[in-house]
Amino acid sequence: MRSIITDLSLVVMASVAVSSFFLNRASLAGSFRKRIAGTPQVFTPAHPTVLDSAREFLGWRDNAVQPLAFTHKRHVENQITCTACHEGVQQSAIAGIPNIKVCMRCHALFAKDRPEIKKLTAIFNSGLDLPWQRVYGFSPSAHVKFNHAPHIHAGVDCSTCHGDVSVMTVAVRAVNLNMGFCLRCHRAKQVSTDCITCHF
Amino acid sequence: MSHRWGMVVDLDRCTGCEACVVACHAENNIPTVGEEQALKGRAIHWIRVERYYEGEFPEVRVKFQPVLCQQCDNAPCEPVCPTYASYHTEEGLNGQVYNRCLGTRYCANACPYTVRFFNFFNPAWDKPLHLQLNPEVSVRQVGIMEKCTFCVQRIKSAEVHAKMEKRDLREGEPTPACVQSCPPKALVFGDLNDPESEVSRMTRSRRGAKLLGELGTQPKVTYLQREDWNAKNI
Amino acid sequence: MERRDFLKATVLTGATSALSGCEKPAQKLVRFIPEEDLVPGVATWKPSVCTLCSAGCGLMVRILPGEAEVVRGGKLGTIQMGLAKKLEGNPNHPVNRGRLCARGQAGLQITYHPDRVNGPLRRSGPRGSGNFLATTWEEALSEVVSKLGEIRSKNRPRSLRVLSGRLRGQHGELVRKFLKAFGAPPAMVFDPLDEPVLRQANLLSFGQASIPSFDLARTNYLICFGADFLGTWNSPVAQSAGYGEMRQGRPGSRGGFVQVEQRMSQTGGNADEWIAARPGTEGVLALGMAHVMLKEQLRPHVQDNATRLIAGWSEGLPDYAPSPVEEKTGIPGKRIERLAREITAHVPAVAMIGGLPLAHTNGLFSALAVNALNTLLGSVGTPGGMFFAPRPPMQEAEDLTEDGNFVRDLLGAKLDGTDVLLLHNSNPVFATPAAWKVRNSLAQIPFIVSFGSFVDETSELADLILPDHSPLESWLDDVPESGTNRAVVSLAPPAMQPLHNTLAMPDALLTIAHQLGGDLGKALPWESFQDMLQDSMAPLRTAGGMHPPPSPEAFWTQVQEQGGWWGDEPKQSGRLASPHGRAAVKFTEPQFDGEESSFPLHFQPYVSQAFLDGSLAHLPWMQELPDSLSTIMWGTGVEINPKTAQRLGIEQDDLVEVRSQHGRLMAPALLSPGIAFDVVAMAMGQGHDNFSRYASGRGANPVTILAPVQVAETGSLAWAATRVRVSKVGKARLALFSGGLFERPFELQSR
Repeated sequence: MRSIITDLSLVVMASVAVSSFFLNRASLAGSFRKRIAGTPQVFTPAHPTVLDSAREFLGWRDNAVQPLAFTHKRHVENQITCTACHEGVQQSAIAGIPNIKVCMRCHALFAKDRPEIKKLTAIFNSGLDLPWQRVYGFSPSAHVKFNHAPHIHAGVDCSTCHGDVSVMTVAVRAVNLNMGFCLRCHRAKQVSTDCITCHF
Repeated sequence: MSHRWGMVVDLDRCTGCEACVVACHAENNIPTVGEEQALKGRAIHWIRVERYYEGEFPEVRVKFQPVLCQQCDNAPCEPVCPTYASYHTEEGLNGQVYNRCLGTRYCANACPYTVRFFNFFNPAWDKPLHLQLNPEVSVRQVGIMEKCTFCVQRIKSAEVHAKMEKRDLREGEPTPACVQSCPPKALVFGDLNDPESEVSRMTRSRRGAKLLGELGTQPKVTYLQREDWNAKNI
Repeated sequence: MERRDFLKATVLTGATSALSGCEKPAQKLVRFIPEEDLVPGVATWKPSVCTLCSAGCGLMVRILPGEAEVVRGGKLGTIQMGLAKKLEGNPNHPVNRGRLCARGQAGLQITYHPDRVNGPLRRSGPRGSGNFLATTWEEALSEVVSKLGEIRSKNRPRSLRVLSGRLRGQHGELVRKFLKAFGAPPAMVFDPLDEPVLRQANLLSFGQASIPSFDLARTNYLICFGADFLGTWNSPVAQSAGYGEMRQGRPGSRGGFVQVEQRMSQTGGNADEWIAARPGTEGVLALGMAHVMLKEQLRPHVQDNATRLIAGWSEGLPDYAPSPVEEKTGIPGKRIERLAREITAHVPAVAMIGGLPLAHTNGLFSALAVNALNTLLGSVGTPGGMFFAPRPPMQEAEDLTEDGNFVRDLLGAKLDGTDVLLLHNSNPVFATPAAWKVRNSLAQIPFIVSFGSFVDETSELADLILPDHSPLESWLDDVPESGTNRAVVSLAPPAMQPLHNTLAMPDALLTIAHQLGGDLGKALPWESFQDMLQDSMAPLRTAGGMHPPPSPEAFWTQVQEQGGWWGDEPKQSGRLASPHGRAAVKFTEPQFDGEESSFPLHFQPYVSQAFLDGSLAHLPWMQELPDSLSTIMWGTGVEINPKTAQRLGIEQDDLVEVRSQHGRLMAPALLSPGIAFDVVAMAMGQGHDNFSRYASGRGANPVTILAPVQVAETGSLAWAATRVRVSKVGKARLALFSGGLFERPFELQSR
């Protein structure tokens, strides 16, 4: 018992000594508050709060709150293909969320009387675009560089990773896109599973 | 046939101008640390130009030497990483997997070329300088080691495009940022598995030598020594 | 402070952006409709023109769609727009052929700089206080129009002056036309990187007041007197490309390179032989070599304008025998003889001069001497030699001597009576000696307008700031003067939309001209600068370069796509025109300001690799770039020889005072073996008082302490003619990238 107390107090004293050593060094405290005039601000934490870092680590994300009640179901029923709106997907890494001009290509003419379309038109006429919130996307700390184009070229269907959008109103993350999911397919199709293929 | 990426640095062409250094910063989102951190030795330059003085005035000479990650085949930084963040890729690169990196910094300790850099802080850019960031390259957070990747994003992009277009890579494709910018064309990059590529031919040059080759790291960068002009020995 | 509070306090206040791509819920900012049609993730390449130095390289800009904060209709919001992400050289541009230097790469940071002036400003406090308030373009432009209208109605059009950096291409034509139609004197050009002494020498020797180009790829021997041609001088990318070919581009044949300077420059580090002749004796060395060549008949004797300008040439240069040359230069006669024999044994050979040798009081003599040497070598207008780039056959012939000269007008008190001053691309308050009192002279002018994108030491005196677009946001054109053997007119549309509420300076001038009307409106009939450019390019459609000549519409499209027009390679270089004769020159001892006993050291400021003349000090990449020779970052050092330092009791990292008769400065010492014992050197570019957060209050400016001495017969500042004394005053620290934390750059071999 005594030895434990001794050990513990030694540990406590050591950590106090170490931390006061560091706290006393002007540089550490200084870089928190003072910003050397002219040099870029160096110290910012990776996340604004501890809770944020926990959420990112555990993959918690709030459901997206969209500005309009866009329903994929209705659009798929009208035979609109994925690439009609998500234009980048065959050429680039990013599928992209279409800007309001893409919507107005059709909705300047069709379904103009629906309440959501009226809202859409009003926003368009005021010169604004819709602030869609991303549903899919990896957290920055995963350092994943996913490239849509080779997957489309390889014949991977959009629904493989994005779920059956034709039954969705608001898009949700129907498929759990963890690394195991990617690896399963990569192994089955005998495509590279080298780390650097996706993580660079 | 898979690729094996290598580089040649022709020291007779290199002028020490450092175009490569800035091109690399621009391409790879390398943070600017500021004077205070630079004073502590924390500046990050994936490629740097070393200069070696010989002699004293007036018999003084200078030698420039660009140094970057040698992508060693027998890399000392790989076995020491506890999380396999530093590893050898299928194409012979020394890959740095940022999401695995814990920041133990053993790799930098082991590297004899001092080409590995640590992010002591979370990089920040005074807005709107953040718009200069290349979206095709990760921004490394605090605690992550980074180093030259031979512009792996350009390699990947070239390979993906070639595959989509059902063709082979062409000569000169891909080109890392430093190689593309170099005004005297001192840097050459390409596939060492192709014996007819320019980089393979130049690697076989009689002027070729490896940096610290005696350590057995088997670097994939070959330095072509500067020639001495016949009558010009001081 | 509690840790949690601290963490919350450092949450992005909007001032910094830690990581791009953070998944954050919808911002409070609105999103505007994109104005461009962009496919997400797809990169496009657009041509542009690099404007950072006089080389005028061609750029290719990589554009990727991204989200930026902009103001539209008075509201702050975000917009998806094409953003420049990377600059590369334009592979088709004849000057740089796809390559780009360190500074060109950093040009990307100008567009996104946090301290850019993002809208028109009006001075709101005393002049120079730095207090400005935002105003609107309507108000700002109408104020300029009314001021100009006022002086025109008072019949004082000559009280309008323009102070500008180098004026080339249609940018220059626009300014010239404006001033001429207004009745104002020509623009005063202030470009510290220009080489007026060399121009004057070339006018005398060869009939052309131009900066030369060099065919280094085909030369076998280059002797360069002081020019940092692989770093910052003239057309560095083109010259470096030629240098690379000279060394290793011809199997079995390698050109040799000799550099003559007192301080090892980045260029000099590459030399096979490095010669430290005494300051101001470079011309003597050149003629010493010529003497040997004439005496030993190593070259066919030649007599033309260039050689007639050298006194004693036809007699075989008796004053430049090895012995007197050794006395003056400090270089052994035997070495001079060997050099002369070597260079003639390896023709084609060429000599180059620039930088410090032309900044001595006898700079003109040195330039004429090298011109004569080149003539003797037969290298003028021949393969492997020097030549003058052909001019494009444009309707308005560009005569660079037409522009005024700021220094001349300043020193000649010609600024008196100026009512309105327009500032563009120039910072003379920073880049001139304090002895000239430029700030005082400019501050007297009642009304000053600046078109700059940044507040700096000169533009802080302005009453109105009408910020220009950044180069990537502008219609750009340029006519490079050197680095190419074919005529070139670079031209590019804007690579991206403007980020801020800025207005292209040429368009601002056109608006002002139209509102003033009269002759001014007639002289400048174009609605926009784009129209003016299109008109100006029309004669080039049939001038070669594109065969067969395309239709006018196709031509204009092609020019915009490729980044300009370039002519065919000239079949042969023509003979250069012969100028009128003038008296021959002979060597005069360089004069130095300051008695040697009190000021024992020569002071050599030099154009810096990162900042040039200081105009790039605001770019963080350039501040953090380790200097090639010293690896200094974020600072400047006073370079001093270790033996001299030891004698003066100075150690590495000591803070030293450098004092001339006209001022003093303090900076850390940098012990360097590559510098003469009686010389101290310092890079230009730091020491800004007011030039963005990255450059202000950092380092010291060597130009301020220079003596107001001029290069004889030219009126240019002799910036190598100042003597100083150096003493230790304290301790400092230099951020060096070399080695580990505690390594010194090198060790002295012998103590």
